[in-house]
Amino acid sequence: MKTNLIQAYKQAPWRIQLQWIGLFLLGLVLIAAITGVYLNISAQAATSGRMIQFIARDIDDINNEIAELTTGLARARSAENMLKRSEELGFDIINPAEAVYLEIPGYNPEDYVVLAPPRVSFISESPIIRSAYKVSLWEWFKERIWQLPISVDQPLEEIIP
Amino acid sequence: MKPPFFKRYAFVLGVSIIAGIAIIIQLVRINYTTYASELIAKSEDYQGVNKLVYPPRGTIYDRTGHILATNQVGYELGIDLKHVIDPESIAFAIATLVEDVEYADVYTIANTGQREQENRYFVLSSYVSKEIIQEIENLEENYALRRAETKSIKPSLNGLVWTPMSQRAYPEGTLAANILGFYNYFSRETAQGVYGVEEAYNRLLSGKPKTVYMPNDPYLVETLPEINPGASLVLTIDREIQKMLEDTLVKAMDWSGAEGGTIIVSDPETGEILGMASTPFFDPNKYWEYQETFSGITPYNRAIGTAYEPGSVFKVITMAAALDSGEVTPESTYNDFSGVFWVDNTWPIYNWDGGAWGEQTMLGCMQYSLNVCLAHVAIDELGDELFYHYLQSFGFGRSTGIDLASEANYPLRLPDNNQWVVLDLATNSFGQGIAVTPIQMVTAISAVANEGKMMTPHVVRSVIDQGQQYNVNPQVINTPISAETAKTLTDMLAIALEEEASIALVEGYRVAGKTGTGEIPTELGYTSSLTNTSFVGWGPADDPKFIVYVWLEKPTISKWGSEVAAPIFSDVVEKLVVLMKIPPDNIRLGIANE
Repeated sequence: MKTNLIQAYKQAPWRIQLQWIGLFLLGLVLIAAITGVYLNISAQAATSGRMIQFIARDIDDINNEIAELTTGLARARSAENMLKRSEELGFDIINPAEAVYLEIPGYNPEDYVVLAPPRVSFISESPIIRSAYKVSLWEWFKERIWQLPISVDQPLEEIIP
Repeated sequence: MKPPFFKRYAFVLGVSIIAGIAIIIQLVRINYTTYASELIAKSEDYQGVNKLVYPPRGTIYDRTGHILATNQVGYELGIDLKHVIDPESIAFAIATLVEDVEYADVYTIANTGQREQENRYFVLSSYVSKEIIQEIENLEENYALRRAETKSIKPSLNGLVWTPMSQRAYPEGTLAANILGFYNYFSRETAQGVYGVEEAYNRLLSGKPKTVYMPNDPYLVETLPEINPGASLVLTIDREIQKMLEDTLVKAMDWSGAEGGTIIVSDPETGEILGMASTPFFDPNKYWEYQETFSGITPYNRAIGTAYEPGSVFKVITMAAALDSGEVTPESTYNDFSGVFWVDNTWPIYNWDGGAWGEQTMLGCMQYSLNVCLAHVAIDELGDELFYHYLQSFGFGRSTGIDLASEANYPLRLPDNNQWVVLDLATNSFGQGIAVTPIQMVTAISAVANEGKMMTPHVVRSVIDQGQQYNVNPQVINTPISAETAKTLTDMLAIALEEEASIALVEGYRVAGKTGTGEIPTELGYTSSLTNTSFVGWGPADDPKFIVYVWLEKPTISKWGSEVAAPIFSDVVEKLVVLMKIPPDNIRLGIANE
C-alpha cells in the first residue's frame, strides 16, 4: 500500500531570514561586481581616450617639427646656398671645354627622382582575413555545411570513404 | 495589525514617490519647453566641436628631388580677453617684437572694459615666426620671475595666445617662381593656388578638407582622425638648369638693356620642360607683394602668358610646311633680283636689309633669312589653304595645353575671316602679323627636332598620392610633318648656322637653329625702332636632346636677333650640355660607333 508523506513542519524563521539575507547579499555582490567591471572598463576607456587626445596633439607637434626641419633643410640646400658653400670650399663652375667624359658600361642614371613606389594594381587572390574571423560561429558553421560536397544525386558511399 | 513605525514608513514612502514624480515631471518639462533646444545645443557645445581639418598641402619637388615648395609652421597670435591681467605689458611686448603692430592698437584691444563679461578672442597677427614666439615665451619667463620676486600679479602676458598654422614656404626663393605660382595662405577658408603649378594643380595639392568631430569627453574619443595629405608633385624642371637659365637671363637683360625676357629649355622627345626662366623675378614667400612686381599688364610668366610677333624664327614653320608638302626642296631656288616681293601687286615685302640677294636655294633663304623668299614660298608655292592647314597642324591658334595656369592664346586669323587679306599670308610666312607665345613656338618647332612629332609640353613628371608615385606619360599632340622633313630641315638649319659662322654655334656640338627679329606694331603701324629678338635652336643635330628658345623684348644694344639672342643661346647651350651630361659630338658618336 502506497503512502504519501507530507512534511508537516515549517522552516524556522531565522532560516528564512538567513535565506533572504543571503539572496540580498548575493544580489549586492553581483551588482558590486558588475559595477566594478563597468567602472574598470570606463576608466580604461577614458584613459585610452585621453591618450588618443594626447597622441593626436603629439602627432600635430611632431608634424610641425618635421615641417620646420624639412623647410630648414631645403633652405640650407637651396641652389643659392649650395653654390655659396661650394665656392667657399674652393670648388668652381666647370668650364665645358675642360669636362672629361668617361664611358661606364651599364651605367644609366635615372635623372628624375623616385620618392614613392610606383602605382601597382594589386588584386589579392585570397582574402587577407580568414572568414573565421569575420563571421559569427553560426554563419561559419552554416558556410562549412554549404561547402560540403554533398549532392542529392550522389550516393553517400562515394563521399564518405 | 499594523507594524510598528508604519506611519513613518508610509511618510518616507510618500515623500519618495512625490520626489520621484517631481523629478520625472521636471525631466519631461526640460525636454519639451522652449528652452530645451537651447539647453541641448549648449550641452553639445560642451561635448565637443566639429572641426574642419585641412590636410597639409602637397610638396613640390624638382626632377632630382629638391624641394621647391613645402609647408612650414607660422603662428597666429591673438588675445583671449578673459585672461588678460596686464594690457600694458602685452601691448609693449607685441609692439616691440612683431612687425607692423602698433602699441596703441594692441592696448585698445587688450584694455577693453568688457573683458571680464565677454569671452572674446582677437587676432593680433597671422603667421608670426617661431623665433618671435620663442622670444615671447622667454619674455613671459622673465615676467614670471619678476612676479615671484615682487609678489605681484604684474607684469604678465596672460591672455596672449598663439596657435600653430601651416604656411607655404618656397625654400629656393625666387627660383622657378614663374613656374610654381604661389599659394595665398593668409585666409585659410579662401586660400588657393594662384598661377603656375600651384593654381593648375590646386585641387590635387590641397587634398580634401574633412570635418572631424573632436569630443571633449574622453569616453567619446575612439580613433585619430584620418586626414590624407594633399598630393605631392615631382616637376620636370631641373633646379640646376633653372638656376643657370635665370642667372643667364639676368646677365642678358643687363647686357642687352631689354625690357623683358624669357628662356625655355625643353626635351623635344618628351615635351618635358627642363627650365623656364621669365622676367620679372618674384619671391613667392612674399606673395602679398605680387601687385608691386607685376603691375599693369605684366604677365606672371611671359613664356606662356605673352603673345608676340616672333619674326624670322617663324620661317622654320613656313619652310617645314613647304618641304613637307613637297612644294620645295632644299635645292629649290628663288631669284631675289630686286629685293622686293609684291603681294597682289599692291603691298611690297622687303628683306631685313632692304637689299636684293640674287638667286638663292631654300638653304640660302633660311641662312640669310630672306623675307621675300619666304613670302614667295607661302604665296606662290604653298598657297593660303596649305599654309594655314600646316599652321593649324603645328598648333597655332590654340593653347598648347601646358599644365600651368594662365596660358595665353591669340586666335589665328584665317582666310575665311573678314579681316584677313592676302598680305597676311606673306607677312605670316616670316612671323609678322601673327601673335604666338614662346611656349607655342617651342612646342611647334620641337616637331622638327623630334622626327615630326609634337609633344604636349608639361612641367609635372609625377604625382605622389597616398604613398604611390604616378608618372605622367609623354603625349603626342600631332605629327604635322614627316620624320624625313624634320631631318632635312634640321640639317638645313645646322648648315645655315655653320656657313654663317653664327655666334649661336657651340664648340664641339652641332646645333640647328634660327634667329628672329620681330618688329613691334604700334597704333600707327610698325613704326617703333625697337624689336623682339629671338632664337630657337636644338641639338645635338643628329639626335636632339634639348630645344632652347630665347626671347628678349625690346633690347637697346642691338635690334637684331642674330646679335642679341643668338649669343645667349650659345651661352645657355654651353652650360646646358654639361648639366645634361651630353658629351661633345666626337666623343658621343665615337662611343656609339664602337
